[in-house]
Formats: sequence, C-alpha cells, structure tokens
Amino acid sequence: MRNLKAMAFDTGGTMSDTFTIDEEGIFVVGKAQTTPENESEGILNSISDALEQWDTKIEESGQSIEALVYSGTAMVNRLLERQGNSNIGVIINAGFEDLLRLGRALQCWIWLDYGGRLHAREHEHPKPLIPRKQIKGVRGRINFWGEELVPLYDDDVKKAVKELLDIGVDCICVCLLCSYMNASHELQVRLIAEQIMKEKGKEIPIILSSKHNPVRGETPRLNALIIEQYAAEPSRKQLISIAKRFQEKRVPAPLRILTTYGGTISPYHKTLITTMVSGPIGGTIGSKFIAEKYGIDNLVSSDVGGTSFDVGLSMKTHVPVKWESSLGKFILNIPMIALDSIGAGTGMYVRYNEISGRLEFGPESAGYKIGVCNEESGVETVTMTDCSLILGYLNPNYFLGGKIPLNKNRALKYIEEQLAEPLRADPYDTARGALDLIEINMKNHLNGMIQGLGFRPENYTLISFGGGGPLHVAGYSSGLSFQNILVPEWAPAFSAFGCVCADHSYRHEKSVDLVMPPDGSMNTFVASLLNSTWTELKNNIAKEFEAEGRDPNEMIFKPTLRLQYFGMFDDLEVQSPAEELTYQLSPETQIYDSPELKVITKSYDDLFEKIFKRGTKSPELGYHITKCIGTGIVPVPKPKLPEHELGGEKPNENASKGTRDMYWDSKWHEASLWEMRLLNSGNLIQGPAIIEAPATTLLVPPSYRVKLDKHRIFHMEVK
Amino acid sequence: MEKSLGWNGKTLKEMLEESEKMFQETGYYYAIDKLTLKEEDPFRFERNYASLRGALVSARETALHVAASPIVKEIGELCFALYTPEGDSIVVSTGILVHVHTMSEAVKFIIREDYEDDPGINPGEIFLNNDPECGNVHTTDVQTIIPIFWQDELIGWAGGVTHQIDTGGISPGHDIMAAVQRFDDGVYYTCRKIGSNDKIWKDHMISAKRSVRTPMYWELDEKCRLAGNLMIRDAVMDFIEKEGIDYYKQFIREAIEEGRRVFIERVKERLLPGRYRAAAFMDGAYKNIAWQPIAKVDKVNNQPLEIIVKENGVMSLSFDGANGPQNNPFNCGKGAMEGGQWVLLTQILIYGDKVNDGAYFAVEKNYPLGTWTNPGDPYLSYQVPWGNLIPAYTAMMKNISYGLFCRGYREEVVPGYGFTGDGIQGGGVYSAGPLEGNRWSLSTFEISGQGLGASAVRDGLDWGYAMWNPESDLGDVETWELFQGGVPYLARRVKPNIAGHGKFRGGGNYEGIALVANSEKVEFFGGREGLVFHGSGGMHGGYPNATAYRLYAKNTNLKEIFQNREDYPLGDPDPTNGEFEKFLKADIVRKPYCVIYPVLLKNYDMFHYTMSGGPGYGDVLERKAERVKQDLDDGMYTADFVNNIYGVVANYDESKEEWVIDENATKARQEELKRERMEKSMTFEEFWEYEKKKLTEDKLYEAVKLMYSESLKLSDKWAKEFREFWKLPDGFQMEVD
Repeated sequence: MRNLKAMAFDTGGTMSDTFTIDEEGIFVVGKAQTTPENESEGILNSISDALEQWDTKIEESGQSIEALVYSGTAMVNRLLERQGNSNIGVIINAGFEDLLRLGRALQCWIWLDYGGRLHAREHEHPKPLIPRKQIKGVRGRINFWGEELVPLYDDDVKKAVKELLDIGVDCICVCLLCSYMNASHELQVRLIAEQIMKEKGKEIPIILSSKHNPVRGETPRLNALIIEQYAAEPSRKQLISIAKRFQEKRVPAPLRILTTYGGTISPYHKTLITTMVSGPIGGTIGSKFIAEKYGIDNLVSSDVGGTSFDVGLSMKTHVPVKWESSLGKFILNIPMIALDSIGAGTGMYVRYNEISGRLEFGPESAGYKIGVCNEESGVETVTMTDCSLILGYLNPNYFLGGKIPLNKNRALKYIEEQLAEPLRADPYDTARGALDLIEINMKNHLNGMIQGLGFRPENYTLISFGGGGPLHVAGYSSGLSFQNILVPEWAPAFSAFGCVCADHSYRHEKSVDLVMPPDGSMNTFVASLLNSTWTELKNNIAKEFEAEGRDPNEMIFKPTLRLQYFGMFDDLEVQSPAEELTYQLSPETQIYDSPELKVITKSYDDLFEKIFKRGTKSPELGYHITKCIGTGIVPVPKPKLPEHELGGEKPNENASKGTRDMYWDSKWHEASLWEMRLLNSGNLIQGPAIIEAPATTLLVPPSYRVKLDKHRIFHMEVK
Repeated sequence: MEKSLGWNGKTLKEMLEESEKMFQETGYYYAIDKLTLKEEDPFRFERNYASLRGALVSARETALHVAASPIVKEIGELCFALYTPEGDSIVVSTGILVHVHTMSEAVKFIIREDYEDDPGINPGEIFLNNDPECGNVHTTDVQTIIPIFWQDELIGWAGGVTHQIDTGGISPGHDIMAAVQRFDDGVYYTCRKIGSNDKIWKDHMISAKRSVRTPMYWELDEKCRLAGNLMIRDAVMDFIEKEGIDYYKQFIREAIEEGRRVFIERVKERLLPGRYRAAAFMDGAYKNIAWQPIAKVDKVNNQPLEIIVKENGVMSLSFDGANGPQNNPFNCGKGAMEGGQWVLLTQILIYGDKVNDGAYFAVEKNYPLGTWTNPGDPYLSYQVPWGNLIPAYTAMMKNISYGLFCRGYREEVVPGYGFTGDGIQGGGVYSAGPLEGNRWSLSTFEISGQGLGASAVRDGLDWGYAMWNPESDLGDVETWELFQGGVPYLARRVKPNIAGHGKFRGGGNYEGIALVANSEKVEFFGGREGLVFHGSGGMHGGYPNATAYRLYAKNTNLKEIFQNREDYPLGDPDPTNGEFEKFLKADIVRKPYCVIYPVLLKNYDMFHYTMSGGPGYGDVLERKAERVKQDLDDGMYTADFVNNIYGVVANYDESKEEWVIDENATKARQEELKRERMEKSMTFEEFWEYEKKKLTEDKLYEAVKLMYSESLKLSDKWAKEFREFWKLPDGFQMEVD
C-alpha cells in the first residue's frame, strides 16, 4: 500500500487539479471538473482521478498525509466577475469619499500592455465595488507623523454609522488617513459604532484598516480592506467545509491555504485576502525548495503556461517580495512574491501586420483551445503551438498523452496563408522566426529581471517548468550564460509541487517611518522602536498560531525590515541579525549605538550596491526605515525529492521511440525521440533530440545535451 | 583637430550634413530605398531590434531604483534613447515619450557647434543639457548624454532624461509661473561636458548642487541617468560583438527608415488626405500679477494649427500665424514643440508601432521663427512651455480626430484633453514635529490625472489622462504628505460641472483642499488657463471643459473651527455660493484667473485647486436622459446645470439617495431650449458682419488685439488669408498701444 505524504489542490474556474506525492517522492496528478457550489466535490473527484492511477483511495492512503495545501481561483473569479458581496459600508475621512472612484487614476491603465498603456483611448476605470452612497465621510485628520491635526468629529461618526446601519450593510470598513501611524481615530470610530449598534440592537463587524494592514497608501489599503470582504470572506465557508471533508476522510493534516507571500495559513485566519492569488506563486516556492536541496545561491524560475510567461527569483534561499500589486484592476498593498509575467504562452496568437510588415504576438491567447491544429476548437488564428507542431517539435498523436489529436497539415496550411505568404517567406522559416521573436521577448524579460536586481545570468541557475517550459527553454535561455539549466521531469505539475513545499507561516507588517541621520544620533531610539514593533508583530502572529491550536513556542520568528537611503523612494528588504537589537557604548564615537543596527545598514548598503552598482550607494544621506516585518513559521513536513540510483549514460532501448525530423537553425535535423518516463537517472541525451511525456515535451536542439540526475531533474547544457 | 570621430574619416558634422542632404534629395532616411537587412532576414532584423529595445527598457527599470525625485520615481518621468552618430533616435525606452526627439536636437547642437574640435568628444565623457533652445522641453528636464565608441569611431549616443523637482529658478517649483527671462529659469547647462572616464566631475557636482533647492534629488538623479546610459552602452557593445560593426551601422539606418515607412502607412490607414485646421488660445494675464515691470502685459497666444495629409501619407504640420513670444514662461523651443507633438502621436496613431525618429522624418513641420513656437531668442524664459504646448496641441488632436472620423474610426476620436495644470507648487520649512527646521517642496504630480475628451461613441475618461504621459497616477495622499507634509490635505473630491458638455461628455475631475500646518515661510503658487477656454474646445457641438480659477484663504479661524467641531470647507462645488465664504472667517482670495505668483501663507491658511475636465462631443440635447441621471448621481453635474444645458429636469429622492428624471418636464424644457436656440440663431452672414464690426470698430479686448497684430506682422501668408476672409483692405493692421 502506498503512503501518501503530501497533497495539493488547485481549483481553477473550469478544472480542479490534485497533485499528490508518496513517501518515495513519486507523484501523480488528477483532474476533475470544478464544482463552484461545493468546491470539495470537485476536489475529491480530482483526488479520486489521481489515486485511481495508484489503485487506492483517500480513505485508505490518506492517514499518512502530513501536508495538505489548497490554492484556488474562486476568490479572484468572484472579483473579476463582480459576483462578490458589495453590501459593505465604508467610513473614510470627509472630503475623501471619492477615493475608490478616483482609484489613484492608475487603475484605468495598469492592467494594459505597453501599447495599450500608450493608447489613452483604451483606458477605463474599473467600476467601484461599492456604491457611493455606502461610503460616508467623517471629519478629522491625523498627520503623516501621527499627530492629530483635526479632531475627530464624533457627531459625523454617529450619523455615518446610523445611515449605514439603516442601509443594512453587512459590515463597516474604516480607513482613515495616516491611521498606520496613529490608529486612535479609527479606534474611536469603532467605539462609537459599537455604542450605536447596541442602541439599535444590531451587530455587524467593524473592520479597521489599522488592524487589517497598517501600511502606507490609502488607496491600496482601502482596496485590500474592501476586497477582503467582497471577494475573500465569502469563500471562508467553502474552505472550512473542504477542511471538514478531509477530517471526515480521516486525513490528519490540517488544511492550509497558500498565500501570495509564499506561506500557508489556516482557513480560520481572520484575513484571507493574501490567499487570493496563489497559482503562479507555487512555482517560486518549489524553486526555492530545489535551491535549498541543491545548494544553489541564486535561482531564477521560469514558468511557461498557455497564456503567460512568469519569472521569479530566489536569492540565497530568500525570495524577494514586492508590495504594491494589482488584482482585477485594483491596486493592493499586500505582500506578494516578486513575480513578473508577460503575455507569452504556448497558446499565444501570431499575426501578420500589414501596416508594419511585421509579425505581431498576442496579446490574447487561445489558451486551452491550443491552436488551429486543434480542429474542433474553432480557433482560426495561428498560435505558438501550431508553429512548434509544424517544426516537428510536438507529436501530433501524443498531445496530453494523445487525448487531443493535432492536425499538422491544417497548422501548416494556416501558417502558409496567414503568415508565410504575406511575408514572402518559407513557412518553416516563418514558424521558427515567430518562435524566435517570442523567445527573445521571454529572454529580454528574464534578463531584465535578473539585471534589475544587479546580477548577470552568470550568477544564476535557471529552472524551467510549466507545460511549455521544457519546449522553449533552449530558445529563451540561448545566449544567456546561466550556471546551469534545470528542467524537472514533473515540470507540468511543478507549481502544485511548490504548493506542498510551502511553510506554515504568517507575515505581518507595519509602516514605521524611522529616520536615521548619518551622525548616528537617532540609532538607539530607532533600535528601541524596532524592538517594540517586532515584539508587537511577534505577539500578534503567536496569537494567530494559538488560535489554530498550534503551540506558539514552536514558532520560528524572522524579523525583517525595509529601508532606503533618506530621500530615496525605493526600499529594499533586509533581515535583522537578531530579534532584539542591543545597545553598546561605541568606543569610536563615544555614543550609544546598536551593533545589530550597523549589521542591518551594512547589509542594506551591500544589497543596494549589488543591485545598482556604479557609485550609487549613498550612506551619507542617512537611512529611512519604512516598514517593520515579522514572519512566524511553524515547521511542517516537506515533500522529499525522488531519489534514484545513477545509472549509465546510455538510455535503455525501450525508452527510444525512433526519430523525427525537426527544424532548427534554418535546416531539418533527424532528432532522436524518447519517452521521458522510461529514461533513467544518469542517462545522457545528445541533441538533436525530443523527449516526450504526456503533458510536456523537452526539446534538445542540435549542439545541446541533457542529463537526467538522481532526482529526475534534467540538466541542459550547450555542447 | 587630431582625428575625425565620424565614419570613414569624416567628421560628425560632415556625417550630419550628408545625412540631411540625402534625406532631402531622396525622401528616404540616409537614402535607403530598400530595407536590405530586413528583406534578407526579417527575423534577424526583428530579433536585434527587440534585443536593443529590451536593453533600453531594462536600463530604465534599473535606473528608476536609483532616482530620488518623487516625480521620477512615482510617475516614471524618466526616458532613455539610443541615437545614431548624427543624433537620430533608433530606439526609445518606455517612459515619457515627450523625449522621442528632444535629445536628438541636443546631440545635433553638439555636432553643429563643433564640439568634436573643442571641447572634444572622447570615450567615457559625459554631457549634460537642459537648455530648451538646444533640444529640451524646459529647464526642469535634465538630460545626460554620453558618446558611444567602437574602436576609433563614434557609433552613437545614449541619452537619458529626468524631470527635476527644482532647478533653482526665481521661485521654488518645476513650472515656475514667475519666470519671465532666462535668468529666472534656474540653472542652465547648455550641452556642457561634466565628466570623463564614466565619472561625473566633482567640481560640477558641487556647483550643480549649490544651484538648486533640492541638491540631493539632483545628485541622485544625475547618478540614475548615467547608470542607465552606461547600461545602454554595454548593450550596444554586446550587439556589435554578436552581429559585427557593419551590420550595426546598416541596421541603425534601416531601423529609422522602417520607422518612417510604418508611420506613413499608419497615416494612410487612419486619415484622409486633405487640409485640416483648428485653433487654440492661451491666456497669460501678467499685467496685474507680475513683479517684474517688463512682464506687466496681458497676452493671449494665438495657436492656429494646420495639418496637411498628403496622398503619399506624408503629414505636414504648421503653426503659421502664431503670434510672438512674451516675457512670461510659456515660450517654446524646438525640443518642446517636438516633444508635445510626439507624445500625442504615439498615443493616437502609433501606439502599437516602433517609435523612433523615423516617424519624425515622416512629418514636415513649420515652427515660424519669431513666434512663440520658435522665438530664436535664448534670453527669454522657457520655464513653462507647457503653458502653450498643452492647449496648442489640442488642435492637433482635433485635426487628427476629423481624419479618424472620416475614416470611420469613431471610437478613436479625441477632440482634446484637460490642461495638466494647476499643479500646486511652492514649499516651506517645518516649524514643528520630527522634521522641524527641514525644508519641504510642494510639487505633487497629481496633475497627471486630467479629464480626456469624449469620443464620437462614448464619454471621456475621468481623472486619468496627462497629454505628456498617458500612464497617469494621482499618488496617494499619504505618500505625497511624506514629502510635503506642511500642507496636509483636507479633501480630494469629485468636482461638479467641470466636464465639457455634449452628447458624450468629456472626462470629469476632482478638486483638492489643503491646509498649511506646522510650517513657516510657506510659498504657494500654481497656474493653468483661466481667462480663455482651454485649447480648441469640443467637437461637433461638444462644449469645452470649464476654465480654472484661484481660491485661497489667509488669516482663517480654522483653529477655532476645529476646536469647536464646526463645519469647514471640503470643496468648492458651487463657486457662487462657496463653502470658503460660508464657513470661514478669513481673507478669502477668489480670482477668475488661475496663474499666480508665489504668495506667502502661514499655519491655518487654506488653499484650493481644481483639476481639469475634458471637452465634450456632439449636441447636448442628444445626450440620453439616463446618462444625465447617472451624471447627477455621480456628482458630475448639478441639477441647475443639467436643467440649463441638457434641458433635463430631475428631482432628488432622499430615501433612495438618487435622482429621478421628470420625463414630461424634461420634454418641455428641451423644447424650450430648442426655441431659445432658434430665437438666438442668426445666419452665417449676420454672424460674420457682427464679428467683423469688432475688428473694424476697434472693439477687441486689448490683449486679443495685441495677439492679432503680432500674427499679422509675423506671417504674410496668414495675414493675407485673414484679410481676405474678413474682406479687409490690403495692409490692414491692428493698432495697439
């Protein structure tokens, strides 16, 4: 009997996927239709689909599961389709009632590609989630350093609360300016509201932005507060019911939900908005896991899906996190793994532009419809997959293991008519040229991200996954001298694999604005404030774990902070060497100073210089600490990588599937053809070769070779 | 001179002259009648273009992190470009596309002035420019340019530009309303060499930092531009190592010629051949506000714009008839004229195409010497050319919109846009709090969110457009206050009745109110159009957007108001019955114009500013009543305006908190409006007679007369057409004092 070790689900809009891994590190993937009314149905069906392949059932093999991780798109879809709960009241400073409508202006273009951003006529503000009449202003103001500028007008608050209660809102979100520095006005609003609710005999939640996410930026802060109630909170029941189904099936591991910052949290956690986007995050966490296992300092992950190309970085087992992000056209200030996407997936359309005489790509994609080669799909425009097909890279009878037959002649005919003839070029040159241009875009994106952090590809190992990663990795990495290129055999399921690698962790943060002048005169003050803020964050996180029944003493606490040179705008995240900074009399300056603070500013200087070389380091300006961050982690079991004995370089004969012609570098080559799962660890495959699996194809061009290591990860090299 | 830097032993000047001659003779850039590289291997050509552009974009992304100016960092006012040895742009990064052709002119200035000979151009050297007479927009845009060498030849230039918050002019700010001569504009660098061996000279940095009010921003932004340029140079070296120098030399020529052809094809596709004309105006009422005696003149600027689309797709654009320059900051150099033009053409015609100087070569232009478009006088002020550019180029948008409309691109029509003005400016010193004694500068870039004009099928975009940067961002109040905490906001709220009316209304916008707090020595000023409608107004019957005005209050009783929890102003929704006047005991200043010189404010003083709406499209009486109801519910218009303009009668339902249209009353009111129109209307001949009398009977307002008198003198062609149209005697002139 198999003992399952970990299980991850991803419920998409149409399909629910299950990824499960056993004690040996062997994995299987299952799929089933998503059941939005009761998501647990779809999930259990997809589990059955996976476990059938191992002739077992969750009831039989589930007791050994140690990690159970959920990610899904239900919350995002609720936002995108405007199906959430808009019966929310908002209390804001008087004079700012239009904040949501203004949307900082940038919400009208931030979701467009570059051409669309230039083309002002395409810009359009998203419709506000809350009607204007449910937003009430109250007079009062706190200034930017936390002092009261205008007292809170209690009567305004009373009136606002009464009106909102009369409308019958389900909750009241309170977001006052600069409450991240001083929450007293928001607290006062809550007190008054509670009193009025008592009088009226009504009780609804009053949610304060200073508690939810005390971070600077009133537009993203209020958006986050509202989207939490609008789109995330309505999923809580579903998540709890999924957790209960697993308890019924006697699975001991608690259900955890993947967050945007790469940790996992319980469905009972008070805020769920950080779980709204997690799909592509999994890949980055999986990459970090691989980086730790292989001892890789700098790893860049690249995920080629049907519609997008996602790039993430992990440095010395640290994954950069960005702050401002956008979701369904709304800007948010929730922490999110720095992951950059461009529209460049295998389903992307390729067209000829008559005006410029050039090929153009996307921005739309055929997605799951694949391309014109999928006759039944109704697709009439050539896609990247059509190009790959006619070039001999893909097996028309083995797409998704043969479930979808591809028509190569149809693809060729369309490529000739739509692209090659107008360009007066050979169809194969055209198809290869189109892939070259898309792969160059991917390469620019990859390189830009690495260089944007001050490195060169030489400092990095590249890992490629997603259904299309193995097919395009040779192309988008060519000319960049990575230390190594890794392609895991389980590339199509790598993101799900990443989910089960996630820690059980909470990340809390708070804007602080602490200034450290260059003379060091404020250092002890800053150190003591950092200490008290971290203690506050730590206690809050400990409470979260406690509420879930975890022992907070098991928690590992990681204090970090974001800082910048005083006057600059771009902060970087640096770890603190200690939870509590100490003070000592400095023998040099004869003033009290904190040695740990010195370590912090030194790490910042080093990081800054690494990223923005060429004499831009400016410690003479002093430092400005913008945010305190605390991450609490309770260790959970992680999956094991498969471990196989290394055999010889020569593959077994049964792995060979003969040969197929492939087009590369302006000519046809006879490529050897292999079945991926029949290759053994240690095997070396020389290009030109094509290694096929049901859900992906690894392309090994001439002058390339790949070697399969003991963890069933291919290493790609240029000969 | 030791050795020529150009190709094949030529000097740069010879190369430039040769290039200009070839274009003039053949009509093709560098006489390239065939795109050989592209035809031989289109994919290699495109791959290389994509790689170069990728390098420029990532140079910009990296440099952004180093920049310090809030404007650069938050709004992305940063742009890089790669140029040919002659200064023609090959590739441009993302960012503010005003600068497609600005730095080109700076490079050409360097070449024409024989810098090759003196002060010399060597590898690793750095040049700085912010002179609007040499390819800049205004002094606050600062450009860093480096030469790129391959062996002994100069093979190109990399340039980067950022917008500074302050360049040390007569008052703080980046668009100084009080500048009336070059000497008021702040520090000038006219294509100055400022470094060698990839390093900025220390003496330059010391001097520059002492010349501006925000030295730290200056220094970091210089570092940021240099860092980006060096990355571009690296990318060019990589390119040449991979493809060879011969390929590079041919490639850069073809890339520009291709850009030219694509632009022409786009013009053929989108516009109909013909002559398009539109006029716009701008007020510069300095008579009563200027400190300097020389500037005490009220002016209106004449901004007639004619576009001719030729059958071969070449477009020509002429400001013939523009009036003279002035002693105010609104004069424009060529860099400004080109900047304003390109940033708009990239938004309306070539947003999806390659953008480089190819497009510049596809458009013929005429900025007549001696007019505000090309004064030819380096001693004037060029501090705020936007004062003219922004309204003037609404005429270009309108002209192009006529063309788009004729071709059936109704959804693309943009009759104009709001003025990106009244960016509140100034500064002060903290007198309390943790930053006591520190200076703060006031220069929010909230102005990047203005109203866009309506199209022929829908309403304009509200608060989301700046003509110089379509990626608008109002910024969060909590972020702005970090940098200008001496003027905390008390309101930022949608302002009624400023969106241009029409069947489709223009974009709406908001107004802001700020309080002076915890500060001393606070200066405050701003500016926008106020006495003339902005630009060329609406289209096909649509109204222009509302004009700006000025409102602030000194010596207020706000301290007591706050203590007693009494009402204070949260906006100025109805200027005829203002909240300032209603709630404050104060010296209230309310002016019909918007431009003011700096005024001194103290704690508890309060000021107001308004962003701009966009112009409308089509007849107001064709606007559907349900849209008008939505406007009322959204606070875009008030009931009295809607009644008077759209003839829509609506009542407010308190319980539902929404407006209800009275259909019968609306029908009656609209009939009444139509009757009024009929009564007021006259034949064209009557109108012509009526207007002509103003000319012949000397009834024109002094500033308007001054404007026409200058135009009549500056262009014989324009004067002839003017006299013919009004049937005036030959030699007719306007008499002005």
